[in-house]
Amino acid sequence: MTRIGAGPPYDSARPGAVWSQATDGFNRWVAGDPAGLDDLVSVMTPVLWHVVRAYRLSEQAAEDVIQTTWLALVRRRAAIVDPVAVGGWLTTTARREAWRVSSAGSSRATPVDDEDLAPMLPRQRSAEESVLQEDEGNRIWAAVDGLPERCRRLLRIVAFENRPDYRELATELGMPVGSIGPTRGRCLAKLRVALMQAGGV
Amino acid sequence: MSDLSREALLAIVRDVWEKNDPVPEHLVTAMQATAAMAASDLDVELMELVERSTELAGVRGSTAYTLRFVHGDTDLLLRVAVDGARSRVDGWIVPPEPMTVRAIAGSEPASHGAVVSDSGRFELTDLPLGMLRLRIEPHDTSRPAFATPTFEI
Repeated sequence: MTRIGAGPPYDSARPGAVWSQATDGFNRWVAGDPAGLDDLVSVMTPVLWHVVRAYRLSEQAAEDVIQTTWLALVRRRAAIVDPVAVGGWLTTTARREAWRVSSAGSSRATPVDDEDLAPMLPRQRSAEESVLQEDEGNRIWAAVDGLPERCRRLLRIVAFENRPDYRELATELGMPVGSIGPTRGRCLAKLRVALMQAGGV
Repeated sequence: MSDLSREALLAIVRDVWEKNDPVPEHLVTAMQATAAMAASDLDVELMELVERSTELAGVRGSTAYTLRFVHGDTDLLLRVAVDGARSRVDGWIVPPEPMTVRAIAGSEPASHGAVVSDSGRFELTDLPLGMLRLRIEPHDTSRPAFATPTFEI
């Protein structure tokens, strides 16, 4: 399993800790401690990765979006008046950029297909790794992966973000604002059924 | 299992994505370098990456790609090529004007410099592999320096 080597790993059991760690890092950076920025990047980059990858961007395009997001933070630091909001500011900025890039099509961001680049990648991931995972892990993954695209994206974003902006999500998913909450409920119900059918959990 | 709470289901979703689409190993370090370098010289104006392409040059397993940055009216086109353990950057600035271009590598303290020719061309050779950024200093000192975001060779 490839895990990030630097910084604290994302804690699935206590996702709320991420946001307070982000705020703490931001506060120390603003106070003049460069290590605060390092910590902020370390704790939030994994969250940004999962949010951005929900938009079906290639790995390279996702990395570019995340880099753009961090540059935006450094340049527009003054825009973040409330340090508690830094995590949400980052995920919102990253989602807007990911949405913009994915809407613009692949011509600019990724002129080369992932398939063509795959042989050059230094690491083998995803499908190959899941084969090695225990059977239960495979079945749970199949349940999540088998959800309709809209549910896959919505649940991935909701799972990693603190409080996503429903208005923007609705635009991106082509849905009325008021239907995001009910749709999330239906997607969770679909997942619950899929997990039961898979005999997992 | 049918009574899995919303929080438990979302924890499952987080867990499977972390396992099946993990964060690339280099990403946190690369983003720390990007953010730190951008923060360290806020007085230098940053260029914006507007285009990136990858070309797969088959010979000797070397790789090359092109990057295009803009800042105001200045356009910067780079061809970045890996050759063995070193790399080189061939650049073109439009419109051409007298400038010094410096490559700042994350792995080596020494910077590599070149002056832009009358036609706007420059080349930087024998660069290390890894994280790199270019800093462009107009000879007209009334103009601010500008720099590219960090990119990787």
